[in-house]
Amino acid sequence: MSELASSPFFGITLTIVAYWVGVRAQKKTGLVVCNSMLITVALIIAVLTVFHIPYEDYYQGGSLINLFLGPATACMAVTVYAKMDLLKKYWLPVLAGCLAGTVTSIGSILVLSRLFGLDKDMTASLLPKSVTTPIATAVSEGHGGIVPITVAAVIVTGILGNLAAPFLVKLFRVKDPVAAGLGIGTCSHALGTAKALEMGETEGAMSGLAVGICGIFTALLALGFDLIL
Amino acid sequence: MTSNGQTHTIENGFCKKVVVELKILLQIGIVFGLYWVSQCIEAVLPFSFPASVISLLLLLALLVLKAVKVDHIREKADFLLGNLSFFFVPVSVSIVNYIDVIRDNAAPFLVICVVSTVLTFAAAAWAVRLTCRLLEKRKGAAE
Repeated sequence: MSELASSPFFGITLTIVAYWVGVRAQKKTGLVVCNSMLITVALIIAVLTVFHIPYEDYYQGGSLINLFLGPATACMAVTVYAKMDLLKKYWLPVLAGCLAGTVTSIGSILVLSRLFGLDKDMTASLLPKSVTTPIATAVSEGHGGIVPITVAAVIVTGILGNLAAPFLVKLFRVKDPVAAGLGIGTCSHALGTAKALEMGETEGAMSGLAVGICGIFTALLALGFDLIL
Repeated sequence: MTSNGQTHTIENGFCKKVVVELKILLQIGIVFGLYWVSQCIEAVLPFSFPASVISLLLLLALLVLKAVKVDHIREKADFLLGNLSFFFVPVSVSIVNYIDVIRDNAAPFLVICVVSTVLTFAAAAWAVRLTCRLLEKRKGAAE
């Protein structure tokens, strides 16, 4: 079994099947708790545990899927470019919102990490957690963070944002769809954007735009991480 | 004559198919090539700046300068962006290797995730609202 499981084709097939089940389950139930990512990851972990397949075997195929994360980030330029009209129209509010959000995210994580007495590695892993995975992991890795912890924090944040977005919009009485979409994209990247798209076209567009711009801002602000860590 | 014409259309149809397939291959080449160039830039830079962000900025610049058209990479970009969460799956599964670290830091981890997410949303949304209001005021004052 172990020789067979270490074939890259095993990992790729398992991931595609689990992802398909996850997406179907979310569509069928329509429940926010049935997040397709949660179901997919839980399913794969369950299969690996039940059949005693080490993660390294699964990763033979997984690493090939991983390879696409970077180029996928590059393609986010297409999303930003497609929203150039919106960006030109709202450039000041968009840049102000993304900057305020990025600074608040990094600032609040830094203060809370100090309060909890977390070590340098853990703090570096959490600092970029509000932005999209490829950027967050790259920033974390560049500053001595533990990449899988960053991924976990990014996913938890994304799911949280996805689940809480409609509630946050009501809680802070955000009526303007531009502000709502930008807030969602800033705090919970692509997973939040999926929810923003369900809420409306403007919300989705602004959220997608925020993901790209906040990713860039975070990478720029991260240049100063060595000074604060 | 007719048979000649027929072979012609068949050849044309075949050529079209080859062109479509080549097009997608070429799009993959453009996106992957761009990412490789970004990795080269990352290696040269004296500070730590992720290749993924360099490639994003590079592609955005090329699009704005019209050196690359969205049509040049549309199918590839749609494929990558449309399945974005799929590409996250393997890294997310790697969490099984770090269950202990997460368990030891579970409380701070969750508190930080929840608190910073709420604060970040509020800060971004309020900053947008404030800026919009200031712009309207200035516009109102100007008129």
